[in-house]
Amino acid sequence: MTSLRRRLIVTVLATVVLAGIALGYAALAPSAAAPAPSGVAAGSPLGSGPRLQVLTNGLLSTVTRADPGGPREVTAVRCDRAHAAAGTVACLTPAQALTATSLVVMDSALRPRTTIPLTGFPNRLRVSASGRMVAWTLFIDGHSYATTGFSTQTGVLDTRTGRTVKSLEEFAVTLDGRPYRNADVNFWGVTFTADDNRFYATLSTGGRRYLVEGDFAAGTVRTLRDNVECPSLSPDGSRIAFKAAIGADPAQGWRLSVLEVAGGRITPLAETRSVDDQPAWLDDRTVAYALQTGDGTNNTWSVPADGSGTPVLLVPGANSPAVLA
Amino acid sequence: MFFRRTSFTAVAAGVAAVLVTISLSTGVAGAATTTFAPVADTYVDNSATGTNYGTSGQLGVDNSPVKRMFLRFTVSGVSGPISSVKLRVHTDDVSGSESDSGGVFRRMSSTTWSETATTWNNQPSIDGATLGTLGSVARNGWYEVDVTSYVTGNGTYSIGVTSPSSNGADYDSRESGSGTAPQLVVTTGTSPSPSPSPSPSPGGDPVLVGAGDIANSGSGDSTTAALLDSIPGTVFTLGDNVYDNGTLSEFNTHYDPTWGRHKARTRPVPGNHDYNTSGATGYYAYFGSSAGDPAKGYYSYNLGSNWHVIVLNSNCSAVPCGTSSAQVTWLRADLAANTRPCTVAMWHHPRYTSGSNHAPNSSVAPFVQALYDANADLILTGHNHQYERFAPINPSNQLDNSRGIRHFVVGSGGASHYGFGTILANSEARNSDTYGVLKLTLRSNSYTWQFVPQAGRTYSDSGTTNCH
Repeated sequence: MTSLRRRLIVTVLATVVLAGIALGYAALAPSAAAPAPSGVAAGSPLGSGPRLQVLTNGLLSTVTRADPGGPREVTAVRCDRAHAAAGTVACLTPAQALTATSLVVMDSALRPRTTIPLTGFPNRLRVSASGRMVAWTLFIDGHSYATTGFSTQTGVLDTRTGRTVKSLEEFAVTLDGRPYRNADVNFWGVTFTADDNRFYATLSTGGRRYLVEGDFAAGTVRTLRDNVECPSLSPDGSRIAFKAAIGADPAQGWRLSVLEVAGGRITPLAETRSVDDQPAWLDDRTVAYALQTGDGTNNTWSVPADGSGTPVLLVPGANSPAVLA
Repeated sequence: MFFRRTSFTAVAAGVAAVLVTISLSTGVAGAATTTFAPVADTYVDNSATGTNYGTSGQLGVDNSPVKRMFLRFTVSGVSGPISSVKLRVHTDDVSGSESDSGGVFRRMSSTTWSETATTWNNQPSIDGATLGTLGSVARNGWYEVDVTSYVTGNGTYSIGVTSPSSNGADYDSRESGSGTAPQLVVTTGTSPSPSPSPSPSPGGDPVLVGAGDIANSGSGDSTTAALLDSIPGTVFTLGDNVYDNGTLSEFNTHYDPTWGRHKARTRPVPGNHDYNTSGATGYYAYFGSSAGDPAKGYYSYNLGSNWHVIVLNSNCSAVPCGTSSAQVTWLRADLAANTRPCTVAMWHHPRYTSGSNHAPNSSVAPFVQALYDANADLILTGHNHQYERFAPINPSNQLDNSRGIRHFVVGSGGASHYGFGTILANSEARNSDTYGVLKLTLRSNSYTWQFVPQAGRTYSDSGTTNCH
């Protein structure tokens, strides 16, 4: 037996000791039905224990919370964006030569449960904390962030009722207290609250980007404040992590920040590089996000949610972080 | 497991190839050595078929369980003849790293496998000739394999290692730190290097230089136009010459003061922003006959005695691109009539791109198929505001070193910068934060590409490929 093998076993034991009883989807995969595409074999060197789901250059993967920079399980499931919560795994599949993108909602063993064909280019994706609501954002019409006049489409699926809203632009908008309609309205970056009805998102119109609060059942949204993009609600529901355009000008980049829902205080986080991502909470104290290097390599970083500390490289070569258990 | 945060921070900052030493080697008068660290290394294990070990400090080769390791080096900045290249690997300083077999080292054709995504299940094929075999290896030692036959110049090289022994060997990976990471030691002579052009034609080889996604109210196009000022040859564009709407007024205001300095030697391509003005009338009015028939926007011309250049119009809603369209019918006839050995084609929307803003475009697939059927060599596109180079590929983006076409996305002309999404297979080079132009030197039976960055920036990418 080589030294490597021994080290692996030491790692596995350490992981098990630290793990507690929670299981990520990958650990459940060996019992999955035949079509489950998970590459995780029994006796995985990652062992059991809490995991993070990430995308490794578009391949759905998991790492352990205990050693997120260590060995990872890499499946054959391809997603341009992924997210997961409470046993629901959501994936925006890459557009292929003959097929557009689609939303695939899977169970914890990566068995597809719902597939919704979509038009556009994957941009954001969220599953509510209960696993019930799935919300996505796509670039459409071939436009983009970086030029003026880009367009997005944001939709929501209620996995319990099957209700699908293909575009939040169907919702009634109240802007600064008044009913509002404008053809230039775009939404992106949804995050649901614990009741699986109320949500936050970004609304863009007239060159400004607002934080909105929405009511899924009522089909309404109202603006709360300016210059808040890609909100992400903390597990305890008290704070929203987001990206704030520097000088309210996206061309200058974005500062990762946290907004207190009650009181509205904003704290810039210790990450000073421009973050163009919808942040994800690892726990009530820590926010994770992806940064990209010039050659297109994504790396997932984390930083304390209270403005203290320094960014830490969490998962090299990965983006779309989500807590599995 | 042996993840060392500091070294990854360096990687995340974009340090791809680490130049460890440049020194005069002893014993070879006038020779210089350059040492390269891997740009990627990992191993796979058939007892954990879905697991990736790309961040590990170790690399393993073994036959029970089967472990294979993969190394990738990018050699750059080497000039003059290469006299020898040695791969050096260091066994881990831990009990059990020793083995009766250090492994069999072989060439690999894939140079685009991912360090953090490669597993036993999706591993690249170790499909090339054997470079060397190491016998028994001891703990904490350096071992050397001569790879001179393989590493013949600047470029990217993959090496795969297997072991016939059930007693595996463990090496240090690049994550272990520069003192023990694998090394590629390139020794060059310092005798006067031969002309960079082996057989220059009288008056020099033709040059094509340009980019797409160029002029708006910002200053990016000024930095790329300044590069053109010192590069002779034919200037190409790759569409979205001016923003936002391709009006004649925008051409005169934004494009003319910068790239317009080289209008007399420019053969342009129309993009979607040019067609934001109906019929791209601003584009055709500004470029005149250089842009071809305004009802078509596609045309071809020859450069030097050996090159054929084809400009296509990928604004398919304005000028159809389908298999039986007039444009593709013309393209196939133009290719059939062409007697030149080398062909480059260009248009705006990329068939393949890893960009996060615009997906790969299947509308232009008939262009790619016709060009592949005719053995064309190069495809240049833009649309995503970044630089990306693919390996020679077939129309389905599979590596094809005999007939494949190299695709470039050169949307780095100055408009803005876009990020990357999922990196596609066979994407060999990328940059998303540097404006610049692609310079193609068109030799009698090959081409040399060079990404020329804006002043003050260092990203570069260059190489040479033969025509077929």
